[in-house]
Amino acid sequence: MKTSHIRNFCIIAHVDHGKTTLSDRLLESTQTVQRREMKDQMLDSMDLERERGITIKSHPVSMLYKHEGEDYLLNLIDTPGHVDFSYEVSRSLAACEGALLLIDAAQGVEAQTVANAHLAVEQGLEIIPVINKIDLPGAHPELIEQQIEDILAIPREEAIRASGKSGIGIDDILDAVVNRLPSPRWSDNPDTRVLVFDNVYDTYKGVICYVRVFSGCVKPGDEVVMMSTGQKAIVKEVGRFSPKMLPEKELGAGRTGYIVTSIKDLADIKIGDTITHAATPAGEMLPGYKEVRPMVFSGVYPIDTSDYNKLKASMAKLQINDAALVYQSESSVALGFGFRCGFLGLLHMEIIQERLRREYDLDIISTYPSVIYRVTKTDGEVLDVDNPQFLPDPSEIDTIEEPMIRATIHTPTESIGDMLALISEKRGICDHTETVDDTRVMLMCDLPLNEILIDFNDRLKSITRGYGSMDYELAGYKVSDLVKLDILVNAEPVDAFSSIVHRDKAEFKGRALCERLKDILPRQMFKIAIQAAVYGRIIARESLSAMRKDVTAKCYGGDISRKRKLLDKQKEGKKRMKQIGKVAIPQDAFVKILKTST
Amino acid sequence: MNSPTISKDALGLYVHVPFCSHACDFCAFYQEAPRRGDIDRYLDGVARELDLVGLVEPVETIFWGGGTPGLLPAKDLKRLGETLLAHLPGPPREWSVEMAPSAVKPDKIEALRELGVTRISMGVQSFNDDLLDKLGRQHNRKQIYRAWAAFRESGFENINLDLMFALPGQSEADWLADLHTAMDLGPEHISTYCLTFEEDTALWVKLSQGKVKRDEEQEADFYEMTWDALAAGGYAQYEVSNFARPGRACIHNLNTWRMHRWLGVGPSAASQFRGERYSNVANLDQWLAGIEKGIPVRADVTVLDDELLATDALIFGLRMNVGVDLGELVQRFAAVDFSPLRAWVNSMAEEGLVEYTDDSLRLTTRGRLLADEVGAELMDVLCS
Repeated sequence: MKTSHIRNFCIIAHVDHGKTTLSDRLLESTQTVQRREMKDQMLDSMDLERERGITIKSHPVSMLYKHEGEDYLLNLIDTPGHVDFSYEVSRSLAACEGALLLIDAAQGVEAQTVANAHLAVEQGLEIIPVINKIDLPGAHPELIEQQIEDILAIPREEAIRASGKSGIGIDDILDAVVNRLPSPRWSDNPDTRVLVFDNVYDTYKGVICYVRVFSGCVKPGDEVVMMSTGQKAIVKEVGRFSPKMLPEKELGAGRTGYIVTSIKDLADIKIGDTITHAATPAGEMLPGYKEVRPMVFSGVYPIDTSDYNKLKASMAKLQINDAALVYQSESSVALGFGFRCGFLGLLHMEIIQERLRREYDLDIISTYPSVIYRVTKTDGEVLDVDNPQFLPDPSEIDTIEEPMIRATIHTPTESIGDMLALISEKRGICDHTETVDDTRVMLMCDLPLNEILIDFNDRLKSITRGYGSMDYELAGYKVSDLVKLDILVNAEPVDAFSSIVHRDKAEFKGRALCERLKDILPRQMFKIAIQAAVYGRIIARESLSAMRKDVTAKCYGGDISRKRKLLDKQKEGKKRMKQIGKVAIPQDAFVKILKTST
Repeated sequence: MNSPTISKDALGLYVHVPFCSHACDFCAFYQEAPRRGDIDRYLDGVARELDLVGLVEPVETIFWGGGTPGLLPAKDLKRLGETLLAHLPGPPREWSVEMAPSAVKPDKIEALRELGVTRISMGVQSFNDDLLDKLGRQHNRKQIYRAWAAFRESGFENINLDLMFALPGQSEADWLADLHTAMDLGPEHISTYCLTFEEDTALWVKLSQGKVKRDEEQEADFYEMTWDALAAGGYAQYEVSNFARPGRACIHNLNTWRMHRWLGVGPSAASQFRGERYSNVANLDQWLAGIEKGIPVRADVTVLDDELLATDALIFGLRMNVGVDLGELVQRFAAVDFSPLRAWVNSMAEEGLVEYTDDSLRLTTRGRLLADEVGAELMDVLCS
């Protein structure tokens, strides 16, 4: 097919604005998938994606569309909406010439809408705004059109009103894709250049690369090279997604589809890399490649310590499918052997933990999430510390820097006071506000990444009654007065409860943790102290009084066995606890405290 | 000393009489409705079970428990007693029978006297009619007094009253009143049982539905109050739940707690006998069927060994105020390695939970309130 009859586009939107439903409708309308084969969220294949209604991996699909008597090939690349996966979003954008920018007709423009629209413009994409869910009560298409003009600087006439649910506007969208989006760019480069925008691991085929061919042509048997690593491979299969994989003889310029090579290890093919022919390599890579780095770290431990090997095998399998996941083994006095894992963000972390539980049937505990602190020692050595355990002695520390983010927060005007209070509570500085419309304001602020790890987004949603939203990008490191907060149970430090916090917050947090632990820990045969300490100085203290009564009266008319069974049960219960000094801490205490220590 | 002496090879005979007219909310013991045909089959079964055992060992004590042994009509009580006597090498030193106040009748008392029963244990539980009603008991305060008078008049001079505390709706004042009412009657022995929530009871269901609540602090208060009040009234505590006038401790129970031997007869009865520990099946029909075939149906059969017996002698021995004579224990179970005990005893003594003097290990008052936790630790220390 001529490149003039090919369109590559994606749909970008704030999470929950109906992107996947709209994609389903496009597939149905172009008869790529027959109605009877449709199931909701056709492009989301992981159970977890369907259940949470979110897209984690991008799924490309090719649709044939007849327009004014001519056949067009429309390649749609679905993208994840959540900020954790923004690198995947930008890779998907790089594979396209245009984007449908989806906006919920009731919710309006959100922080992510703006962020994604900017990403798309930076990549030189043509944007078609689509106001979705116009058939819902509470839809204000006129208001949204105004926002599109004011915030995104796109003329209001360009917006298409649609509904993924009922199919309104679907034909208008398809026509706009053909008429308004440019045909594939950079197709006249003499050398073959193929962008890898995603990859998945398949047990039988090995690594399947989702690709966009910019110039040249790829076919089975070709020897190719990965430009970022120099790794060579033989192409074994090429094809398109329909949405199932459909092998083809070759993939030419402008096409979107997949390539299977002889490479079996996901880590050997980097997302964003450029594939070229080994014999006639391109001189220059396609733009925009960067390494993905984990942002959030947490220890993952099996609840039953004998599950360590099972966890190890499961982590390896997960990583095969998710190159963004990094991990290394670590051990904790309280939790035994486990792994320190790096995630793209909180959602990524939750998803990995959930997949371990669900797909690998593992009971796990995760420790308090942490970020990477940059510690400069007095001797000049610079350390990256992602685990409070490895923070050097304070006498050896010159400075500690923490990662910062630049956040864009959209909030209803009436919530602005509470929002600013929250930002300041989280040690943030708001330096710029902008009016979005009569009812909404956009705040720009700098925040420590550490402070948004746990409950920031929940609190934001609660303050704004669901109307607020946030997008952020990393904004380097900043020196901060950070200390290690230790929790001591009966004078023994419990490493799993340690965290790195700002000095001003240590006491508050220490107090909260001690109070919570007092409620969670079972009473022991003796009184124990629960303390919070910063570098050996006690800043909070609770005491858990001794268990007073544990005796049962009857001895069952000589039925010693019955009594014995009860005691045996009690003994086994104690065995499953972690012994910290003289104190027995049940596993679920760790889970409870880590879940609530916000 | 409160404790009568018992020889190491003493044998107690426990007879489980599984009939109850009504299931009490707190009770987890095996029971059946008292149908005529079942009573006859049961009495036949006891005789056959004793035939199978072929007792040659002298029996020191007999204890009839249930169920409600006192529910049996006089002639059945007589038949059961005669059956036992016919199978024993000689008369027992102590013979206790549990009696529910509502089922006490002159002809039954006479039958027990004739048999040579020495000790009566009355399931009073409370003197408070409201609480009795809530517990689902079939008797009232008036019936307790009537039964008490009848036993005393007939010459029983060793009577125990069973009482319960920490009942739903029971105040501390209610309980003190019950204790004093009991002491005013002047029984030789008083047992006080903290309400226990056991699975398979109506009470457990109520607990899980949130209709009743447990309050461990209050239970502890009740315990301490009980121990003080009874001591002041001249009833010395000799076990967690048991108090007696001098020389009136229950020999049958002491024998059990010292990990000697006992034979249980009847469905669900437990034995520690001839090198094994086991329970009869808790079902009248299955019990009978097994006995008729000559192969008793038993559950939880454990072959006794010194480590098991030594551990249990400690766990149950420590529940007694006199404690455990460690020198004697080491001598009795020479094959057992008691060395891990030393460190444990030291740490428990440091916490003020045990006292160790003159080779004798005892729980302190605080330790006694934690006897289950102590027992679980002992199992961990000795059976690793």
